Amino acid sequence: MSTSTSFNRLTPYVFLAPAVIIMALALLYPLGYMMYGSFREWDPSQAMGESTFVGLKNYITLWNDPNFRESTLVTLKFAVSVVTVEMFIGVGLALMLDRNLRGMSLLRTLFILPMMIAPVVVGLIWRYMYHPTLGIFNRGLKGVGLESVDWLGQHALLSVIIADIWQWTPFIFILALAALQSLPRSALEASRIDGATGWQQIIHIKLPLMMPVLIVTCLLRLIDAFKVLEVILVMTEGGPGLSTEILALRISRTATEFRELGVAAAMSNYLLMLLLFITVLMLIYNRIMEHRAAKANRMIEEAH
Amino acid sequence: MFNISKTICGVTAATALLVGQALAGPYDEYQGTTLVVNFPAHPHYDAVRKILPEFTKETGIEVEVDQLPYLKMRERQTLELGQDEGDYDLIAYVVFSKADYVFADQLENLARYFMNPKLSDPSYDADDLIDGYVYNIGFAGGSKGYLEGKTGSLFGIPYGSETSILGYRKDIFEKHGLEVPQTYDEMLDIACKIPELEPGMGGLSSRAASGHHASHAFLLHLAPLGGRVFDDSWNPIVNNEQGVQAANALKTIVDCGPEGAASFGFGEALGSFLAGDTAMFLDTTVVAGQIDDPSKSKVVGKVGWALHPEGTRRGSQTGGFGIGIPKNAEHKEAAFLLMQWLTSKKGDKLVALAGGNPSRFSTHEDADVNAKFPHMATFGEALKYADPDWRPIIPVWGKINADLGTTLSKVLTEDLDVQEALDGVAERTKAVMEEAGYYTWSE
Repeated sequence: MSTSTSFNRLTPYVFLAPAVIIMALALLYPLGYMMYGSFREWDPSQAMGESTFVGLKNYITLWNDPNFRESTLVTLKFAVSVVTVEMFIGVGLALMLDRNLRGMSLLRTLFILPMMIAPVVVGLIWRYMYHPTLGIFNRGLKGVGLESVDWLGQHALLSVIIADIWQWTPFIFILALAALQSLPRSALEASRIDGATGWQQIIHIKLPLMMPVLIVTCLLRLIDAFKVLEVILVMTEGGPGLSTEILALRISRTATEFRELGVAAAMSNYLLMLLLFITVLMLIYNRIMEHRAAKANRMIEEAH
Repeated sequence: MFNISKTICGVTAATALLVGQALAGPYDEYQGTTLVVNFPAHPHYDAVRKILPEFTKETGIEVEVDQLPYLKMRERQTLELGQDEGDYDLIAYVVFSKADYVFADQLENLARYFMNPKLSDPSYDADDLIDGYVYNIGFAGGSKGYLEGKTGSLFGIPYGSETSILGYRKDIFEKHGLEVPQTYDEMLDIACKIPELEPGMGGLSSRAASGHHASHAFLLHLAPLGGRVFDDSWNPIVNNEQGVQAANALKTIVDCGPEGAASFGFGEALGSFLAGDTAMFLDTTVVAGQIDDPSKSKVVGKVGWALHPEGTRRGSQTGGFGIGIPKNAEHKEAAFLLMQWLTSKKGDKLVALAGGNPSRFSTHEDADVNAKFPHMATFGEALKYADPDWRPIIPVWGKINADLGTTLSKVLTEDLDVQEALDGVAERTKAVMEEAGYYTWSE
């Protein structure tokens, strides 16, 4: 009797076991490997075992390294600007296109095309469009009699931000559109009957109801923007100076050019910590908002 | 009588066969072996692939080529060479890998192959190989640890090596009665005159983008202007008078160069010369093929070649690739035979005729090669001044190089003061060298 009870109690864990084992192998092992590596002085020609343990040295060196700090700052600037602009344009587009127009499905497909292109190709396309003499932007500017712009020189960060916005706004757009289309029609109809204008509907009904989806979308984009590599690598290689050298690029250069795997691992851990911090912050914000909404609901119910 | 002569014939034939067996060709033992080689995607190695069937026909040794973009190639080699048994029998490597591979004991010392009478071809004529290339790419353990010298030995043979050369537009120079520059002053002067004489055209197109591009361009000027990155005790001297002069030369070139020159990598710099947007190009010899290719170039037949201008001394760059045998290779002897064949006088001429970069003085002077590529004689002359020490080949160079390149990019784009910039580089370099243990003996 007792054996069968304990077996019954174990059953769920037995079913979970394969998933847990795969998780442990596929996720935790590499992560652990990276953590372990970040405490070592490790050259790519060496096996991990031959490397020497250096404690927190890699972390401390990085903390005092002005280039690393500059890279972090560039990453923050890049991620915050692209995600803010993308959220505005993406959600705006979704609000505008959430209606039954002819050829709507074709339009939607066209809108999401940029994010289907391989990042290296996106980088190359934009690099040629930004070319000082042959690129379409400068030729266009010259065509209308304006001064040409040094896109990848003096305005490199702005140029990579524009390219990223072009590529990733569609991602926000499709998720926002899906959220919009799943909103309860009853709430919208009720508000219309009460005489709400289009803007009032957007601000007081659509956006608050979409908020949980938008927060997750924003988070996903933010995480992605912190790790973007190929487009910038192809467009500017981090230059001029360090003006577009985002962390992912610095990590990759540290591992391949400087051949310091330990430092690269430590840098990845800093990035991971930063992302974890942002994620937790956003989740807490989301929780507070939900809590407030629940409280408001309770108050309305009590008033009735 | 008839019978006797028949018998004699038979005996002669049998003896010939026996003797033939005893004096077997050097390749017989390895017939049927398949070598796996790792080469970069590079014009020289495209030419090599064209001549490999000739090697197989002559020796019976098959060759399988794994050709990769060169950064990818280095990554793959890092993984392969670290294993107990590697996949590659022969690898091409860039100069910088020499320091890493030799230090990690991953490349075969070639002495035991050149000592082996069964493998070493007496007519190889190693003295004909270009000195600067051999010291730069093949040697380790000598002077400064990475050059030739009494304690050094050979780990690889240059193959697909390059030096720097000045390409100029003959038509533009003739039109304005300009002399081909012999010195740095003349070159910088003409570079800035061109935009005035030919509005819309840049003087000299150079690499300048942040990172290794800017650093490469700077070092290209540093050696002929009399500078070095380190003194003999590994103290950084990149910020001395010559260093400042070299950085200023780069800045002048970029300022008088084509539009957007400060963000040019190698591809853009070459592209702008091929498109006819600049009057001069000072970079690697490897571009010659593309300049004469009408599908890529608008300046076919308009380009003349001259030696890298002289500062206080002549000193053109050395770079490109060498070939070596990994320690963990499966068919080392056969790989050596391939290596020897490729870099022999015959192989070198074949690859030159197929559009590759020869590694021998004699090939540069060869009549057939010159008939097909008239610039070869000038290139050969340039090689006499190829400077194997124009940049240090030490394991920590990658980091110093990146810092130098990003700092110079700030000089070019953000108007950072040259002296201040180089002082910063020297200070940070000192710290890197200190940590790597280069001052252990001077403390």
